[in-house]
Amino acid sequence: MTSMPVSDTVLRRLNTLQLVAAGFIIMAPVAWMVLSSFKPSFAVTAYPPTLIFSPTTENYSNLIKTTPFFSYAVNSLIVTIGSAGLGLIFGIPAAFAVSWTRISWPAVLTLAARMAPGTLFLLPWYVMFRQVGLIGSYTALILSHAVITLPIVIWILLPSFDNIPRSVFEAAQVDGCSVTRILWRIALPLVGSGIVVAAILAFVFSWNYFLFALVLSNGDTKTLIAAAFNFVGEGSTDWGALMAAATLIALPPLVLATLVQRWLVAGLTLGAVKG
Amino acid sequence: MVALESPAIRKPAETFGQDRQRLELAALSAPAVLFTVGMIAFPVIYTVWLSFQSFSSTGKQSFVGLGNYAHLISDNEFWHGLWVTLALYLLSLVLQLVFGVWLALVLFHAKRLSGIVRSLFISPFMMPPVVAGMMWLVILDPSIGAANYILTSLGLPPSDWLASPTFVIPTVALIDSWQWTPYVALIVLGGLQSLPPSVYEAAQIDGASPFKTFQRITLPLLLPTIVTATILRSVDLLRFFDIIYITTQGGPGNASNTLNIYGFRVGFEFFNIGYASALMLTLTAIVFGAVLAFNRLRNAVAW
Amino acid sequence: MTAKSVAAGLTLSIITASAIVSAAHAADFDWKKFQGKTVSFLANNNPVSQTLLKHKADFEKLTGITLKVDMYQEQQMRQRLVTVMNAHSDEADVFMTLPSREGAQFAAAGWYADLTPMTKNEVAPDYDYAGLSQALLKAATYNGKLTSMPMNIEGPVLYYRTDIFKKCGVDQPKTIGDIEAAAKKIKACDPSITPFVSRGLKPALPYTFSNFLHNMGGSYMVNGKSALCTPKDKAALDTYSHLLRAYGPPGVVNYSFPQISALYRAGRAAMDFEASNELPTVMEGGARLKDTGLIPLPPGDGGQVPTTIGWGIAVSAYSKQPDAAWYFVQWATSPAVQKLMAVQGIAPPRSSVADDPTYRKWINEQPVRKEWQAALDVLASKGTSEVGYPIVANPQSREFIGQAVQSLILKEKTVDQACADADKALDALIAQK
Repeated sequence: MTSMPVSDTVLRRLNTLQLVAAGFIIMAPVAWMVLSSFKPSFAVTAYPPTLIFSPTTENYSNLIKTTPFFSYAVNSLIVTIGSAGLGLIFGIPAAFAVSWTRISWPAVLTLAARMAPGTLFLLPWYVMFRQVGLIGSYTALILSHAVITLPIVIWILLPSFDNIPRSVFEAAQVDGCSVTRILWRIALPLVGSGIVVAAILAFVFSWNYFLFALVLSNGDTKTLIAAAFNFVGEGSTDWGALMAAATLIALPPLVLATLVQRWLVAGLTLGAVKG
Repeated sequence: MVALESPAIRKPAETFGQDRQRLELAALSAPAVLFTVGMIAFPVIYTVWLSFQSFSSTGKQSFVGLGNYAHLISDNEFWHGLWVTLALYLLSLVLQLVFGVWLALVLFHAKRLSGIVRSLFISPFMMPPVVAGMMWLVILDPSIGAANYILTSLGLPPSDWLASPTFVIPTVALIDSWQWTPYVALIVLGGLQSLPPSVYEAAQIDGASPFKTFQRITLPLLLPTIVTATILRSVDLLRFFDIIYITTQGGPGNASNTLNIYGFRVGFEFFNIGYASALMLTLTAIVFGAVLAFNRLRNAVAW
Repeated sequence: MTAKSVAAGLTLSIITASAIVSAAHAADFDWKKFQGKTVSFLANNNPVSQTLLKHKADFEKLTGITLKVDMYQEQQMRQRLVTVMNAHSDEADVFMTLPSREGAQFAAAGWYADLTPMTKNEVAPDYDYAGLSQALLKAATYNGKLTSMPMNIEGPVLYYRTDIFKKCGVDQPKTIGDIEAAAKKIKACDPSITPFVSRGLKPALPYTFSNFLHNMGGSYMVNGKSALCTPKDKAALDTYSHLLRAYGPPGVVNYSFPQISALYRAGRAAMDFEASNELPTVMEGGARLKDTGLIPLPPGDGGQVPTTIGWGIAVSAYSKQPDAAWYFVQWATSPAVQKLMAVQGIAPPRSSVADDPTYRKWINEQPVRKEWQAALDVLASKGTSEVGYPIVANPQSREFIGQAVQSLILKEKTVDQACADADKALDALIAQK
């Protein structure tokens, strides 16, 4: 027996209510961070905490003036786009193959780098890259960050590829398509939203990862996130600058996520294949 | 009589095609495998070798075989660290999965939400962990933080939050969940997008309530995505480091001393690289075990 | 010619000759000797290095050496340094170091180049090696090797609210016992304010606790064994933890300099025992400028033995150009540069600079600066660098000290239990060779 269907309006209102509650909890601390970036440094830890204050842009102007913020940002961008790209290029075919054959060990292997504490890699990688003179190069940074992005791409795409019914592939095989062709022509368009999510996540993880950059970069290639740490130190804890730097650092991933939103919403999947 | 579907009897042409297919599939995953092996082989081998050495505080090095591992088993700090790691892991995982799925559903049904607002919803994990840690350190400060200010304004008792030996683990779990629930939601949202609408249409025709739809249809279909999110969060949660490093450094006492924090301090502050390597490898083995277990699950729930 | 006149003539020529030689020697020192080379400096991000590097261009002009700087936050810098040094890399020629914490450890690992010969032979005439704090130099010497040159002098000092003291009828504490009495009175007089705040965070608290220990006549090691259960040591453990437990802010077990300075600056604490170089942070915004008094920790049963440490600048043992690197080190710690840094708030490890009129003028601009300098004078003359155990595994010893104090603050153990557990662990640590 089916129960009386709840009316659509009630459902919608309920959903909106939950949305607002979730939004508040999620965004209130972020709002705190952004607001704090417009307060003078000592006011960030003032008590009682103030919501109303006269804003100042001194944190931002100081930041741009005293640190080579822009060049750090460019470094971060190069490393992040490079490693996310590498992760996608290697990861998409691998995820497809793992999904098709149901042989998981390649996927588990790539995750191995994420199973060990990051500090395990610091000394060996430093020694390795030093041997080939690549310390401080973008190459070393991109390669090390790709170790992070590759498993993310593979594991995000696995369920997406798994969702495609085998019958689709079998039909294409009967037509004489090679495996690679099936990947690029048929499977890929069907996992659009998966690729979007994978790309966003690869970007964010690489962008925020500081441990490898700490050891493998030099003054010229230092990434933005390594600079964010610099505002907390004995005798020089600069809360305002830290919050300003944090806001600026969080912007590019946010912008990227906003831009690719519509693919996430519309979803390049579906189509007439299923059913 | 030859039955075409019988796997035991294959025509030569088909065999050739299948072999070629297998080769192609292997070639597709080769770059990822070779890259990973190339990057992590030396570090892993080197760390294993280090774990068989002992480094005294004066820097003298000697081979001790499995000595470090024997010490590990009798080390109270290790077992305590294991307990802290597991408690934090389970608490955080449950919170993030439950609320992550909930948030994904809420966002999924809010079809008319603008792109900017939607990305703000998933913004917390885009913040660098060091910044999140510093931020919550101030907000949760028992004396000058906004959290206790709000609690006391509402007439509720203030809490020590990160400074309380009993509440530090739940507090850290809450901070981490605030940051990473949107991440889980994003993954599940991607999964929701790829669900075939024909199934929903069928359910609606039958007049099923939204709750029943979720329970009977959506949830089982979402299981592969949820397992993925579980695997991805598990590898990070079991190696919990950043927030604790910024806020409590393993304290109060060692109430928040996860295995990763412990191993880090042993290696980088106490210079006991041999023992630190043994600790790190043990942690890696634990995470590996968890991944294997969840991978089985993934294969079980795949459609 | 008489023998006398010959002797006189000889003596005169010898004197003249040696005068010419020594003049030539002084002129021998050439700042531009390593012109064109590049020296790389791995720095901590703190006010000492920040102030030093403001004058980077001066150095490059003087010597023609290009200075490459890589700056990181303290713990990160240490991580990078440890990795670079473990790989025996020549990447960093010069780096900043904290002898009181890692000196013995790094020296045992062989990471420091020996600066002793350089301070004798390759030194500019106006360097005034003798003018550097002998205590700090001694603290940086291991097995007869001088491992770093001191850049500044610092230590924990007691900041206190003169207005609150007045309001509650409390005098400036003259002994450690007075601190407890003052805290009690303030708590009764004004319950909304935290009477006393200092470090409770496990790895950070030995810095402030050591001062209490030494002032109360205790010591970490006696006859090669850990001495935390001796009566004076137990008294110190008890006093410090009791102060924080009874009169400290809630959550003090997580407190280090960021929260402590924030709390005091926001006007929420009456007494603040923290690092002297937190002065600029505490004064930010100007709220505490006029109502803060500053003294070194008052004496206890052991007299006044303040904790005095200083950042040092060292040459890497793996550097391929230690001589050029040394030029940067001696420039950075020369009287001229330290004078420049002093008027920007970096307390110098040279009394000559501290007496310099320009510096004195800066000090006299604010009463709290005068008190700050007076406290630092006490630190310079009477101080010890012993923070944690005087063994190679100093950082690990701090862990056990921290655990003991924290277990007392949290009332998880009695003093006897805590000191016994710590002694056991520390004896095992000391026994490791």
